[in-house]
This record gives sequence, structure tokens and C-alpha cells, in this order.
Amino acid sequence: MAALALEAEGVLRRYRNGRGVGPVSLRLGNGEVLALLGPNGSGKTTLLRCLATRSRIRGGEVRWFGNPDPARARPRLAVVFDATAHVDEVSGEENLRFFAGARRAPVTPGLLVEAGLAEVGGEQVSNYSYGMRRRLVIAEALVGDPALLVLDEPTLGLDVEGRRWLETVLHERQRRGLSTLLGTNDTSFVEEVATRVGFLVDGRLVADSPLAELLASVGGLREVSLRFRGDVDLERLRAVAGVHQVVASSDGALVLAAQRDGLVADLLGAVGELDRLLIDLSIREPRLAECFLQLTGRPLDG
Amino acid sequence: MAERAAVRPLGPVGHAGPGGLWWLELRASVRRRRALAIKLLFPLVLAVPLALTGAPQFFAAMLLTVLVAMVGTVGTGVSLTRARGAGWLDRLAVLPLGGWRVGLELFLAGWVVDCLQATLLVLVLEAAQRPDPLTLLSTWLLSLATLAFSGALGLAVATLTDNPGEAMLVLAVVLAPMLFLSGLFTGVPASGPRYWVAQLLPFSYLQNAFQLVLHGNPPYGSDPQFLLAAAVFLLVGAGAAAALGWPLLARGS
Repeated sequence: MAALALEAEGVLRRYRNGRGVGPVSLRLGNGEVLALLGPNGSGKTTLLRCLATRSRIRGGEVRWFGNPDPARARPRLAVVFDATAHVDEVSGEENLRFFAGARRAPVTPGLLVEAGLAEVGGEQVSNYSYGMRRRLVIAEALVGDPALLVLDEPTLGLDVEGRRWLETVLHERQRRGLSTLLGTNDTSFVEEVATRVGFLVDGRLVADSPLAELLASVGGLREVSLRFRGDVDLERLRAVAGVHQVVASSDGALVLAAQRDGLVADLLGAVGELDRLLIDLSIREPRLAECFLQLTGRPLDG
Repeated sequence: MAERAAVRPLGPVGHAGPGGLWWLELRASVRRRRALAIKLLFPLVLAVPLALTGAPQFFAAMLLTVLVAMVGTVGTGVSLTRARGAGWLDRLAVLPLGGWRVGLELFLAGWVVDCLQATLLVLVLEAAQRPDPLTLLSTWLLSLATLAFSGALGLAVATLTDNPGEAMLVLAVVLAPMLFLSGLFTGVPASGPRYWVAQLLPFSYLQNAFQLVLHGNPPYGSDPQFLLAAAVFLLVGAGAAAALGWPLLARGS
């Protein structure tokens, strides 16, 4: 039986200020796409750096393809951090060729074309926009057909076309066995590409489930977003029948409640003095962000 | 245009040859034309008046040695801390390249450009002073070896610092005592601990070599001694750069 692409047991990396991550345990099988979601400061990047062989862990163990030696993992591992650093004064092609050479792999023909960089491949990277640099970083990660891909905020700076390209690439590579670990709060992207989703809160993994199960868990619920002028007693909202979660937002409250007739009327009744207090109300079907709210009691956007 | 790019072959390239990190970085340095021009002119601003005006040999050799030491250390230290700040070292650290290889290749790219500067400086001395060819050769090689040693020193400082300003400060703190102990400001005593410390640093040899080129009368050193010192410090510099590659990448991890 083939070893898992990635196994982390009790991984711990905390900084002096108490922030950081761990202990965290997770497993990533071959061909899986695991997305880690969490608000800013929840430890996504720290965990990804540990699992991408970049940061030393202070406790626990990580195994890549069954082996704990990071140097042996690197030939089969590709990483995309949020930085887009290149050797700016040479062309995108030359940068791509360097990354291929470092992996002792040929440059996949057409990779720059797929990445939408064919026309600028011969230009100096210093002339590239941020989005173009991000595409190049991702293309560089894909040379040599890595078996494990770690992506930190992969959709950062990508336009619609770029996102679509990345989604297609991840789907295609997943079918060929690529395992992907990504950290992002772009829930629509996660819903497109992930097979599993993990929620990080204060450096701990509080949920790790198949995407379909998570979405099913909020089936039949509604997210009601209320914006107030002034203060409203949130306990009155919590007391409404069918309400699962009430979380204060910057100018109101997010309510997660079971869908039923009369729900909105009851919530408005609980707010009271509508003419004076209520600014806005919106209702939507819950998706991943609401799963996060339901499971952690905190909004994903912090 | 897209179709033309699609069929253009981009073959495999080993990372030690053209396409490797040092080659990529070197090409980048050459393409920063304005920065390169300033770099190449900078030593001449000092070397030309010193070589042409008959300045006292000891002080002229001291200034030229300080110049070579600064060129090697500052260039490497500043560029590597800048690379760390931009996230470039992060990207290199997760590639299947050994730390020693990254250290050596980054060092090599900087050293080659530094060597151009030193070569221009030595050519100015040749034109102005017409020294013995063997003396000129040994001085040139010793200046290249001193650049290698200084470059490794800059790399060492980059393993301890996070930004160019901090690197400059630490470099000054590290380099000034080394230059003093090399006898640059006071000469090397004929015996005692300072004599032996001076023997272990390239700066004392280079100052003496420059004095010889300027037709001075250095307290010690001959062409064979300078050539041997050049070989030793070249190896020390390259070895140290390779050894410091991993700590360089590990900082901030």
C-alpha cells in the first residue's frame, strides 16, 4: 500500500507571543485536496510552512511519503508561498527553466501558454503585474509533476481567468494522483477544488471532514445577516426558535438558524424598534463560511 | 504569438550550468546596467587618484584594501538580506537543492561581479605604476581571494540579519576589528598575537601586496607568499560559503 503523501502527528510551532499552530494532526492521501480555512492569525501559513518543509517544528512529527526527512521529500514537493519573488531581471521563461533544472525535470511544453503567459514569457519578470507573477509562481510549482503541492493563498492576485486555469489544473492533476494542501479563505475556490476541508482556530484543527459532509451539515439552515444602528441584545436573538448560532459582527449580527416559516419575522421581532435600529437584512443559503461559523462559533472573516 | 511560444522547446537544464542559480543571478546583475556601471566605476573613483598622485604607499594600500573588503562584504550581505525580505530565499529553501549548493551559487554570482571591480582596480594600478608582472598577477589573484573571503563574511552576516540596514551595521562591527587586527591602520607587529592573527586574515597580505605594486617597501610578503595566500583564502571563502548555505536558508524558518 502506497504511503500517504503527508502525515502530521501533533505538529507544534508556537511563537513567543503564543501565536502559531499546534498541536495539529492531519493526513493527506494521494489524490486528495485538503483546504485549510481559518481567520487571520489562526495559523494557516505557519502550519503550511511546517508541512512544506520550510519551518522547523517544535514538537510532533511530519512524514512525507512515509519518510520524516524533508530533504527526501523536496524532489516530489512543490510549494507556492504568498511571495512572488523571482530573479526579476531575467525572463519568465528563464525563471521557469531554473525551477525545472532545480527539480531535474524538463519544462512541460505549453505550461506558460496554459498559465496565460505565452506572450510575455520572454519578457523580464520585472515588467510583470502582480497577477502575472502569481501565475508564473504557480507554473513553476507545476514543473516536474510534483506528487505533493502546498499552496498558500493560491487565488491571491489571480483574475477570473487565472482562477479558472488553477481550478482546471488542480482537477487534472488530482486525477493523475497529485495531493494538494492549500490554505485560503476563498470559500468559493475551496468548494470548486477541495475534497476535504479543515478548520483552523487559534492554531488548532477543530474540524477535518469531506467537503460534501460539511456542506450537508448546514443543509436546511439559513444565514441571516442583520445590520443595526446602535446596540441590540443578542440574547434576544439567541432565544428565537431554531437559532443555532448568533455572532456579533462589526455593525450587527450573523444568525445561523434552521429554515422555517416565520423565522425572519421572529428575528425582527426580537430586534424590536425596527424603524430606529435596523439598517439592513440579508438571507442566504449557508455554504462553507457558515459551516465554519456553526462549528467554531466564529465568523471566518474574523 | 501564443502558438509560436507553445511550440518553442524549453529543454531540461541542469542547475550547475547555464540556467543554474549562479548563472541566473549573474545575468540579472549584468542586466542591472545602471547599478553595474556604478559598481564598476566606484573603485576607480578611489583607485585612480591614489595610483596617479603618489600618495604614501602605506595609506594608499590601506585604502585600496578597505575598498576590496567593503566591495566583497557589503555586496553579498545586502543582496542576500534583500533576497530574504522579498521571499526569494524562502522559495529556494523548499527546492531540492542542498543548502551548500544554494550558498555556493549565490556567493559565486556576487563574487564574479566583484572580481570585475577588482580587475579594473588592478588594471589602473598596472597602467599607473608598471609593477613587476608577477607582483601584479599575485596582487590580482590575492584581491580576488580577498573578495571571496569578504563575500563569505557578507554571507555569514546575512545568516544573522534580516534587512540590508541591519546587515550594514553588523558588517561594520565585524569588519572594522578584522581590518585593525590585519594591521591596516598601524602596521603588523613583528611578533606576538597580533602578528599571528594578521597571518590568518587576507587583508594584511593584500595591503602588503598593494604596497609592493605601488613600489613601497612592505614589512613582509613576497610574490610566492601572496600566491599561496590567494589559493588558501579562495578555498576558505568558497568552503565557508558552501557551509553557510544551510544557516542562510534556515534563518527565519
